Amino acid sequence: MTLAGVFGPLGQVFVFVVGSAIVLSVITVLVAFLLRGTRTNVDLVQATLTILPQVIVDGLVRGFLFATIALGYTMVYGVLEFINFAHGEIFMVGAFSGAALGTVLAASGILNSIPPLLFVLIAVIVGMVVSGTLAMTIERVAYRPLRNAPRLVPLISAIGVSLLLQDGMRLIANVTGLGFNARFPTPNFGPPLQLAQIPTADGRTIPLILDVRALIFIAAATLMLIGLNYLVNATKMGTAIRAVAQDRPTASLMGINVNQIIALTFLIGGALGGAAGVLFGVRVGTVNPYIGFLPGLKAFTAAVLGGIGNIPGAMVGGIVLGFLEAFVASYLSLLTGGAFSGASYADIVAFAILILILIFRPSGLLGEAVAQKV
Amino acid sequence: MSTTSLPNSPFAALNRGPLAYIALTAYVVVTSALMLMNTRTSLGTDVLFVLFLLGFLLLYRANVANGYKLALGAIMLIGVVPYFGTMNAYYIELAIQAGIFVALALGLNVVVGFAGLLDLGYVAFFAVGAYLWGIFSTDQISQISPGASPVSPQWFYLFMALGLFVGAFFGVLLGLPVLRLRGDYLAIVTLGLGEVIRVLAVNLDRPINITNGSQGIKSIARPPLPDFLRALFPGLDDPQLYQLFIYALALLVVGITILTVFRLKNSRIGRAWEAIREDETAAVAMGVPLVRMKLMAFAVGASFAGVMGVLFAAKQQFINPPTFDLIRSIGILAMVILGGMGSIPGVILGGVLVTLLDLQILPRIATELGALKRQGIVIPDWFDPAQYQRALFGLLLIIMMIFRPEGILPDQRRREEAHATEAQEMPEEAGAGEVKPA
Amino acid sequence: MALLEAKNVTKSFGGLIAVNNVSLTVERGSIVSVIGPNGAGKTTFFNVLTGIYKPDHGSIIFDGASIAGQRPDQITKQGIARTFQNIRLFNNMTAIENVLVGMHARLNAKMWQIIFQSPSVRVEEPRARARARELLKFVGLEGRYDELAKNLPYGDQRRLEIARALATEPKLILLDEPTAGMNPQETLEATRLIQRLRDELGLTVILIEHDMRVVMTISERISVLDYGEKIAEGKPEEIRANARVVEAYLGRGAAVAD
Repeated sequence: MTLAGVFGPLGQVFVFVVGSAIVLSVITVLVAFLLRGTRTNVDLVQATLTILPQVIVDGLVRGFLFATIALGYTMVYGVLEFINFAHGEIFMVGAFSGAALGTVLAASGILNSIPPLLFVLIAVIVGMVVSGTLAMTIERVAYRPLRNAPRLVPLISAIGVSLLLQDGMRLIANVTGLGFNARFPTPNFGPPLQLAQIPTADGRTIPLILDVRALIFIAAATLMLIGLNYLVNATKMGTAIRAVAQDRPTASLMGINVNQIIALTFLIGGALGGAAGVLFGVRVGTVNPYIGFLPGLKAFTAAVLGGIGNIPGAMVGGIVLGFLEAFVASYLSLLTGGAFSGASYADIVAFAILILILIFRPSGLLGEAVAQKV
Repeated sequence: MSTTSLPNSPFAALNRGPLAYIALTAYVVVTSALMLMNTRTSLGTDVLFVLFLLGFLLLYRANVANGYKLALGAIMLIGVVPYFGTMNAYYIELAIQAGIFVALALGLNVVVGFAGLLDLGYVAFFAVGAYLWGIFSTDQISQISPGASPVSPQWFYLFMALGLFVGAFFGVLLGLPVLRLRGDYLAIVTLGLGEVIRVLAVNLDRPINITNGSQGIKSIARPPLPDFLRALFPGLDDPQLYQLFIYALALLVVGITILTVFRLKNSRIGRAWEAIREDETAAVAMGVPLVRMKLMAFAVGASFAGVMGVLFAAKQQFINPPTFDLIRSIGILAMVILGGMGSIPGVILGGVLVTLLDLQILPRIATELGALKRQGIVIPDWFDPAQYQRALFGLLLIIMMIFRPEGILPDQRRREEAHATEAQEMPEEAGAGEVKPA
Repeated sequence: MALLEAKNVTKSFGGLIAVNNVSLTVERGSIVSVIGPNGAGKTTFFNVLTGIYKPDHGSIIFDGASIAGQRPDQITKQGIARTFQNIRLFNNMTAIENVLVGMHARLNAKMWQIIFQSPSVRVEEPRARARARELLKFVGLEGRYDELAKNLPYGDQRRLEIARALATEPKLILLDEPTAGMNPQETLEATRLIQRLRDELGLTVILIEHDMRVVMTISERISVLDYGEKIAEGKPEEIRANARVVEAYLGRGAAVAD
C-alpha cells in the first residue's frame, strides 16, 4: 500500500505532464506548419520551435502553481463539498508573509549573506504556517457555524471572507509600509542556467536557459506533492481524512473527531496555498493584495478539470491547465500575426475549459461519475 | 400588500389608528423641510438625507391605508427629491445611482433570490446594455463598420427596449451551457463568464475595434431633453434639467421593474422558480421544466440589467471596462443579501443602503477625516475608508450569512386567508368542494 | 389496454444493477403495490418510471405512448405524479403554494400575460387558488393553507405531498412509502386516503410500502422485488403464500411466520 499508494498517483501525474507537453507541442507545430503560408516575414515553424522549450518550462511553472493551489480546493471539497472561495486569498497572504520576511531580512542586512535556498526554505515554512493557521481560523469563524445551512450560505460567506482578506491585507500592507505593490526581496539567485544551445537554420544558435527560480519552484512543488501523497495515503491521519471525505457521519461513529479532521484539512490545504504563494512571490518579485483572485479561480478550474475531491486529479488538472495557458499565451499572438493578444486571451482559456469540462465531463479527467441520490 | 405592525416596540403605540397617520406624516414633513432648508453638501445634510430616506422604510412598515402610503411616497419621490435636486446636484445624483442599482439588484434578485441561482457575473449584462448604446450612439460604430454613422440620440428609447432584448439574449446565451450545473459550480462559472466579458471589453479593440479597449467609449449621446421640461421649469439650466430628466427615467424604469418582479413573483412562473430554489428534484417531478425556467430567470434578470446599462451609458456619457468588474457584481449581490434574498422591499432597501454606504457614507467619512487632518489632528495616511470598499462588502456578506441569512426585510409569505374572502365572493364552479377526476 | 406497461426495465449504476429486467403491468383504476426488502430497487424503479433516471434497457408505455427516457416534467405532464420516500416538500413555501406548484404544467399564463396581467391571468390565478384549496380540503388540510410546509406536523406533510401530486392532474399516482413513520391511527387514515384516490378520483395507484397490513388491505396486485429483480407477482393471498417472497424477507430456511 505505502509505496504504491504514494507513488502510484505521482506516476499518473507524470504521465499527464509528459503527455500533455507532447500533445500540445505537436498540435502547435502542426498549426504553425499549416499557417506558414500566411506569413512572409517570419518562418512560423522555426519561430515556433525556437521558443518551444521556454514555453514548456513556463507551462510547468504555471502548472505546478495551479496544482499546489488546487490541492487546497480539492481537499476541502472532498471533506465538505464546499468551494472555499477564499483559498486564492490564502495563497496571497502566504505570498505577503514571504515578502514581509524578505523585507525584514533585507533591512537587517542578512538577506544576501544567507544561501538563497535556505532563504526559500525559511520563507516557505513561514508562508505555510501563516496561511495554514489563517485557513484554519477562517474555517472556525466563518464556515463552521454555517455547516448545516443551505449550500449557498457558506459559499456567500466565503466570498465575503475573500473580499475581506483582500482589503485586510491591503490595510496591513499600508500600515506596515510594505505598500500595495509590495516588493518581494530575495537573495541573488545568480545567472540563469544555460541548458543547451539550439542551432537555427541560418546558422545562429539560441541558448536554452532556465531561470533558477523556476527550477526551485518546480522542485519545491514536486516535493510538496510527494509529501502530501505520503500524508494522505500512508499515514493514520490521511486515512482519517479519507474516511471523513467518504462518509462524515460514519467516520464520526468510528471515533474520528470530524471537526478536528476538517480543521486539519484546512490547515494542510492552507499551508500548501501559502507555500505556493511564497514560491510565486520569489519568482515574480512583487506581490499585491489582489494577486490571489485569478490564480485561485484558475486553480479551482484545475481542480474541476482533474475531478474535484480527487487529489491526484488536482495535480493533473493543474499541470494540464498550466500547459494550455502557456501555449495560448505564447503562441496565440505569433500564430495570428498579433491580431489577438495571447496574454489576455490565456485567461479566457481557463474559463472556457471550465465550462466545457463541466458540461461534457463534470466528473473531470480522473473523477468517477456519482449518481444523484433521490 | 399586507400591513405589518411593529410589535413590542416603543413605537407600537405610534403605529396605531389615526396616530399612525399623524406620526408618519409629521416625520415625512419634518425631514423634508429640514432637508430642503439645508441644501449645502455637508455631513449634516447627509444625515438629513438619510433620515428622509428612512421615511420610505417607515412608510412601508406603517399601519396606514395603502392609498395614503402611495400618495405620500409619490410626493416624496416626485416632489421632494427632484426639488431638492435642483438645489443640490450631488444628492439627486445619489438618488439616480441608487435607482440604477435598485433596478439591478431587483434583476439579480430574480436570479439569486427567486430561483436560487448564484450568479456572480451579473454585471456582464449591464455591460452589454451599456456598450450597446455606447457603440451605436458614438463614432465607435464607424470603427466596426466603416462609413456607418452614429444613430440619432432620439433613438435612445428604442435602444432601451433593445437593451431589454439584447440583455435577455445574452442571458440565454450564457445561461444555456451552464444552467445544468449544480449551484456552487454555477457561481464559479458565472464569475468566470463575467470575467470573460470584461476581458473581451478590454481586448476587443483588435483585430476589429469594437469596444475601444481599455480607453473606453467617450461622448456617449444623451436622449434629447424633452421640450415640455424646459417649458415646465423655465428657471433651471440645462444640466439641472438633464439631471431631473435622467432621474425621472430611472424612477420610471425602477417603477416598471418593481411592478414586473412583483407580478412575476406571485404567478406560476415565480412559484416555479421558488420551487426550484427549494428542491430541484421535487420541482421537476411536479412538472416544472428546470432548464426552461432557469433560463427564463436568467433572461429576466439580464434584461433588467441590459435596460439599465443603456440608461447608465447615457447618464455617464463615458464607459470603460473597469466599470464592469467583478466587484460591482459582488456589490449588487451584497444589496440582495443585505435586504433579503427573494424579498422585493428588502432588495430595494438593500440597493439604497449599499449605494449610500458606497457612494455617500464612506466618502463622507473620508472627507471628514481629511478635514480633521487639516486641523492638525493626526490621522495616518493609510486610513482612507473609501479605499476599503471590498472589505465593506465582504464584512456585509459574512455578517449577514452568519447572523441573519434571511436579510433585513425578509420575504413575507403571501397570506391566502387575506385573499380567501375575495375568492369566496366569486361565483364558485359547480360542485365546489368536491374534487373531480382529472 | 393497461394504463402502464413497463417491460424489461434495467438500470445500473457503475457495476451495481439496481433494477434488473423488471416488467410491470398496471391496469386502469387499480391499486398495485411494489414490495421488497430494503435496497431491492423499488425506489430506483419509481425513479425510472418518473424519468429521474433514464433506463438502460426496456420500454415503458404509459397511456399508449412511450415515456422511457423522457424528462421528469414531461412525464408528469402526461399524467404520472409521485410522492417521495423522504418527504420532499418546498419547505419555505406555504401549503397552498406547494399545491400551486403542482399545477404548473396545467396553467397557461405566459410571461408577458403575467407582466401585463392579461384578463386570462386574472381568471386563471383565482381559479387555480380555489382548486388548490379544494385539493387541500380533500386530503384533510382545510384551514392550513398558509402554514409553511416545514411547520406542518409529519402526517400532514405526507398529506400535503399527496395534494401536491394531485394538483398535477395525474392519471397514475406513485406513492413511495406513504405510511412510513406513522402511528397506527395515522396509518389507518392514510390507507383510507389512498383508497379515496381510486374510489373518488378514479386514479390508478402504485405504492411502495413496507407495512404489510396496508399492502394486503388495499392492493389488488402485488409485485415483489429483491436484488433488483422481480421475484413474484400476484394477488395478496398468492404473495402471502409464496415461498420465495418469505425467503427474501426472512432469509433462507426461515419458517413461514405471521
